[in-house]
Amino acid sequence: MRLDYYFRETASGLRRNGVVAFAAMSTAFIALFLFGLALLIARQFDLVIEAWTGNVQVAVYLDDPARPDTVTRIQTNLQQLDAVGSIEYWDKVETCAAYRELFEGQPVFQEGVDCEKAIPTSLRINLADPSQFEQITAALGCEADGVTQEIQCAEPGVRDVSDYRDLLDRLTAITRVLSIGVLSIAVIMLASAIALVANTLRMGMFARRKEIGIMRLVGATNWRIRVPFLIEGMVEALIGAIAALAALFVIKVFFIDRLRGELQFFPLIRNADVLAVAPWILIAAAAVAVIAGTIGMRRFLDV
Amino acid sequence: MISLQRVTKTYKNGVTALTDVSVEVQKGEFVFIVGQSGSGKSTMIRLLLKEEATTRGDIYVGGKNLNKMSSWDVPKLRRNVGTVFQDYKLLTDKTVFDNVAFGLEVIGKQKHVIDQRVPEILEYVGLGDKVNNYPDELSGGEQQRVSIARACVNRPLVLLADEPTGNLDPNTSVDIMRLLDKVNRIGTTVVMATHDQAIVDAMRKRVIELDKGHVVRDQSRGVYS
Repeated sequence: MRLDYYFRETASGLRRNGVVAFAAMSTAFIALFLFGLALLIARQFDLVIEAWTGNVQVAVYLDDPARPDTVTRIQTNLQQLDAVGSIEYWDKVETCAAYRELFEGQPVFQEGVDCEKAIPTSLRINLADPSQFEQITAALGCEADGVTQEIQCAEPGVRDVSDYRDLLDRLTAITRVLSIGVLSIAVIMLASAIALVANTLRMGMFARRKEIGIMRLVGATNWRIRVPFLIEGMVEALIGAIAALAALFVIKVFFIDRLRGELQFFPLIRNADVLAVAPWILIAAAAVAVIAGTIGMRRFLDV
Repeated sequence: MISLQRVTKTYKNGVTALTDVSVEVQKGEFVFIVGQSGSGKSTMIRLLLKEEATTRGDIYVGGKNLNKMSSWDVPKLRRNVGTVFQDYKLLTDKTVFDNVAFGLEVIGKQKHVIDQRVPEILEYVGLGDKVNNYPDELSGGEQQRVSIARACVNRPLVLLADEPTGNLDPNTSVDIMRLLDKVNRIGTTVVMATHDQAIVDAMRKRVIELDKGHVVRDQSRGVYS
């Protein structure tokens, strides 16, 4: 009886408010789509950063095969430097497993190349003080060749030192600008979605002011009167959220998946990444509905 | 059943609608509130429904102090107080049955309760043969009967009627008064605001006269003036 009542009220509310409800839903859709897009852009750049820098500022690649005592010796030496924050040792198995996950469904290496032969073991270092990078090269006795810029290190067992500070900084900066940019547009759109949903609720209440007046007179509780409108707002936001998710999948299939296989060493977002933003979109949609409900029904429904 | 104790009501715009009004109404009484437009009759009805709060003084309905009632309890109050208005307040897109059922539906009554009580009360008010008509197809008197049915279907302790015969011709008004009298006889306390002189004079019930917000007369078995 009760559920049935709420369902009927909501359905008739949406029907009556057709055009306005459509405006609210499409705004909610665009807002939630942009919100999801911002999250996916951030995720895409995370993947690229992970692939290109391993999320560290400096990588020390070791000669193959790396002997355990060499690894320990170099690690201990580096750990004593002020500039060094943390050091992690990545062996071939670990590194290749990470790559396989990152590039799932797309080739990283040319066919016939064995990851475990091609990839050196490494020490991945995050700097406590990024400006003191030279401490590391000095400690390992490395010198850049004046002509080729290739780094040669005196320390036995060290093959190469890569300085990812700039790349990491730049990629992080691009991520930040892009996702914050899209996110701010999303926030503005979310605000207008809230305003439009609140407006449909208000119009619905205005259209039904006589019913509401009678409901109050005969002693219907405030919730009894409000819940159909709240559900109406929820449904509008939810339809917007579902459409937004669908649109994100479309983007992923038609734009991202086309690039797969074209780009070497460039990991791309996968279905799981799109699915991972779904809860956030639903939370944002619920927030839109609740805030719109609070705004739309304030004042109108005081006893 | 109803008790107003030195009630004063001043609206936000500075108009004082009731001044120091004290009235006691016993269970099962039938009371007319008379007075010219603007004398405070409607304000008294609004205060009894807690649509407005008093500025000073206390109001008790069924033993409950309305000033100390939280907004959560206001719906409970209104379930015990039926209301009838001059303009009927019927929903034109619902049938007679559905209009009365609406009053029960929105306070969460079960369907079997509705299916039992609505035909019963419609029979009681003399509309047993109009259950499936729409309000537009009814006369004014019949529409007012629907509104009385809706007010009484939940068996309230008190029935408040604000000018219930205001839009009706004299003969129809008499019919409506007979119905209200019938409702009163089954134990419902009836408070009716009106300026229909003929009706007040004919009924010979208790009359409380308001003038510019003051009680100027409180007479049992009274007449209009």
